[in-house]
Amino acid sequence: MSARFPVITGQGVIAAPGTSVDEIWQAIAAGTCGLKPLSLFPSPRYGQIPVGEITRDLIALGAPLRASRSDKLAWLATRAALQDAQLDPASNADRIGVVLGCSVGGSYDSEKFLVTLLKKNRMRPCATRFHECSAPVDLIANSFGCYGPSFAISTACSSGGLAIATAADLIQSGAADVVIAGGTDSLSRTTWAGFHSLLLVDSQGCRPFDAARGGMSFGEGAAVLILESEEHARRRGAKIIARVTGWGASCDAHHATQPHPEGAGALAAMQAALRRAQLPPGDIHYINAHGTGTRDNDVAEAKALKAVFGATVPPFSSTKRVFGHALAASGALEAVVCIEALRRQQLPGNPGFQQIDPAIGLAPVTETRAAKLAHVMSNSFGFGGNNAVLIFSQADVTPQTRPTPVQPAHVTSLGTILPDAVVERETQWPLPVEKVTVHACGPFADAGTLNPIQRRRLSRLCQMAILAARRAGRPDPSQRVAITLGTGFGSLDEGAIFLENLIAKDEAEPMPTRFPGSVHNAPAGQIAIDLAAHGMNSAPTADEISFESALWQAMNQLACDEADEAFAGALDELNKYPLYLGKRWGVWDQDNLPGEAAVFARLSQKAAGPLARITALRLGRFRQPFDANAEARWIADSIHLASAAVIVTGAQGWRKFDSRYLDVVAELNRIAPQPLTQQTYKQDCGEFPAASAVGFARAVTIAKERGCGVLLYTLALRGGKAVCLIEP
Amino acid sequence: MAISTTELKQKIIESLNLQDITPAQIEDEAPLFGAGLGLDSIDALELVVMLEKHYGIVIKDIEEGRPAFRSVRTLADFIEARRPSA
Repeated sequence: MSARFPVITGQGVIAAPGTSVDEIWQAIAAGTCGLKPLSLFPSPRYGQIPVGEITRDLIALGAPLRASRSDKLAWLATRAALQDAQLDPASNADRIGVVLGCSVGGSYDSEKFLVTLLKKNRMRPCATRFHECSAPVDLIANSFGCYGPSFAISTACSSGGLAIATAADLIQSGAADVVIAGGTDSLSRTTWAGFHSLLLVDSQGCRPFDAARGGMSFGEGAAVLILESEEHARRRGAKIIARVTGWGASCDAHHATQPHPEGAGALAAMQAALRRAQLPPGDIHYINAHGTGTRDNDVAEAKALKAVFGATVPPFSSTKRVFGHALAASGALEAVVCIEALRRQQLPGNPGFQQIDPAIGLAPVTETRAAKLAHVMSNSFGFGGNNAVLIFSQADVTPQTRPTPVQPAHVTSLGTILPDAVVERETQWPLPVEKVTVHACGPFADAGTLNPIQRRRLSRLCQMAILAARRAGRPDPSQRVAITLGTGFGSLDEGAIFLENLIAKDEAEPMPTRFPGSVHNAPAGQIAIDLAAHGMNSAPTADEISFESALWQAMNQLACDEADEAFAGALDELNKYPLYLGKRWGVWDQDNLPGEAAVFARLSQKAAGPLARITALRLGRFRQPFDANAEARWIADSIHLASAAVIVTGAQGWRKFDSRYLDVVAELNRIAPQPLTQQTYKQDCGEFPAASAVGFARAVTIAKERGCGVLLYTLALRGGKAVCLIEP
Repeated sequence: MAISTTELKQKIIESLNLQDITPAQIEDEAPLFGAGLGLDSIDALELVVMLEKHYGIVIKDIEEGRPAFRSVRTLADFIEARRPSA
C-alpha cells in the first residue's frame, strides 16, 4: 500500500503580491511588504490601515462571473494548479475530490444585501446566493468536473492547513486518488471590522516576532495544491514537486480567541505531525510559523517551538507581512511557501522583524537565503484554539506514513436537540415582517447546567452544541477526544447581529463579543472547552452532506489512532434571513418548513455494547442530468446492499428533489436482494443543511430496535452526495 | 465632575450583559477580572467599546486599558483623567 503516499503535483496561488507561484516567491525573496490601504470597500474607521488586498480584476483574469469573491479566488488558484499538474479531471473524475478551507465564504458579496437594505432601503436577494463557505468547493467541483469526496473546512485561520491535512487523509485512506486541496478567503467587512474590534490589528502592518509588534495585518487570497497518491501520479507520469509526509491537528480547549499561553495545543499538533511523518524533531530544517504578529500568538508559538525542538529550534519565519493574514487561505499560501522553499533550497525571510522580544527569546530568519532543506513544517492556528500542522518533504525522500483505510466505528451514544414544536416566527428588523411556520427547538431544560458567566457569552447555537454534546455523555478525561461538527449555515445569528450593527453604525461601535461567535467553528471550539477535548476539532461544511463530512473526519481520526473517541455531529439554527429569503423565493410551503437541530454521535472503535455500528461511509457527487440508475449502482458499489433492509433519505416534500430520492429507491429495489423500505425525517425536523444528522440518529435507532441494517442516503442541492450503512 | 460609580457599574452590567447582577453586588475596589466577577479578555474589549460610546475615550491598545480595568474604582479614575473636556 506504499502507493497511497500523498504527493504534490501542482500548485496555484493568488494573493496581494501576485497571481503566480513565481511572483509570490519573488516577493518572499525580496522581503516585500504586500500591504497597502484598503480600497475594496469603504471603511470610515479603519480605511488607512495597511492590508494585503488583491487589486487585479478577477474577471479579467478569467474568473467566473456568477460567483463570490472567495469563489473566484479559489477558481483562479485551482485553474493554475491543474495546469501546473497537467491534470485533466475528466481522466479520473470519480476519484478526484475537493477539500478547501474557507471561513469568510461569500460574505464580501452577501454583505451587500445588508448594505443596500440598510443604506438604500432596497432588497438585493441575489447577493446572498453564494454566502455559504461550501460554495467555493461546489463551484470548483462542478466547473472542473470532479465527482469524488468534496467538502469545505471552516475552522477560521487554521482552515487551509486542516483542509490539506484532510486531503492527505482522503488519499491515504483510499477514498480518493487526487484531491484539489487548499484554502480561500476574500476580505469582508465582517472579518475586517471584527479583528479591529478585538484590537488585534497593527496599524503599521504586522511585524511578526518583533519586539515592537502590535498585532496582525489582514489579507486575502487563495492557494490550491494538487494532492495525489504516489501511484496515481506515477501512472500518469506526473512530476512530483514535493510530498506531504506529516500532518497533525489539535485543539487548545482553552479560549474562543486567545491561544493557550504555553502553546499547549500548538505543541500537540506539531508532535502529532512529527509522529505521523515518523521524523525526529531534529530532521525539520525550516518552520513556516503561524506568526500573526499579535503579542499572544507569537509568544505562545515560540514557547511551543522551544518545547518541541528544545535548545535548537530550526530556522523559522512568518511570511504574514508579505500576504497579510488571509485567514482560511493562509495555511494553503504558506504550504506553497514551504514547497517552494524545498524546491529552491531557500529559507524564506520574515519581513517586519527588527529586534528580538525578550518574551520570545528567538529570532526568525531575517532575509531569504540559501540552505539545505529536506523536511519543512507549516503551522496554522485559529480561533477556538484550533491547530493544524503540516510537514512537507523533498520529492526523493522515502516517506514512513502508514496507509489508514477508514474502519467501522461503534456508535456508543447519541446526544440530540430536536425541534419540539411547530410554531410561527416573524422576521424582524431590518427585514420586512414576514410570517413563517417553522420547526423550532427549545427552550432547553438543561440550559441551567451551563455556568452563568459562560452562558452569558454563548450564542444560542453554541448552547445547542454544548447541550447536545453533553447529552451524548462526558468522555473520560484519559481519552483522546476528537470533535467534528458539520454545519451548513454556521453561526448565522451572531454574524448577522455583528454585521447589522456594523453597517447601521458605520463601524462606530463594533461588537467584540459577537465576532468570535460568528465563525463556523465557534460551537465546536466551545464544546472542546466544555469537554476538555484536545484532539482534532473540525467544522466541515458541505450543504446537506455537512454531517456526513463530519462523520468521515471522525471515523478517519479513529482509524488513524489519532483519537480514542470522536464526537461527530452537525447543527444549524433558524435565522431570519433564510426564513425571509426562502419565503420570497417560494422555498417554504406547508410541505416544506424550515427547521433546526443539533445532533451528536459518540463514536469509538473499541466500545462494548454499542447502539449500532457504522460499517461503511462514502462521499461523492452526482452528475447532471441526474441518473437514478447510476446512483443506485454507486450505492451498491459503496456498501454491502444485502445487509440493509431500510433506507433513510432526506426527502422533504419538495417535489423537485424528492423525485430524485424516490427514483433512486425504486432503482435500488430492482437490484437489492431484499426489498428496502424508505423512511424520511424532514417531516419531523424541517429543512436545513445539517438535517441528515437527524436522519442518522433515526437510522441508528431503527438499526438497534429492529436489528436490521439501515442505509442513510443524502443528496445535496449543489451536487454532493453521501451514503452510510448502519448495522446493529 | 466626578463620575458616579453606581452609574458606571450600571454601564458595565449593560455592556457585558451581566444579567443576574445588580450594581450593589459589585464592590468599588473588587477585581473585575479573574477571581472577581470572572470576566475575561473579551469582556475587556467590550469595556473598550463602552468607554468610547459613553465617555468618548478611544483605546487602541488593550495594554493601555489593562491597569484601568482592575476595579470599578480604577476605571472611574481612568475615565476622570482621560475624559475629553467638554
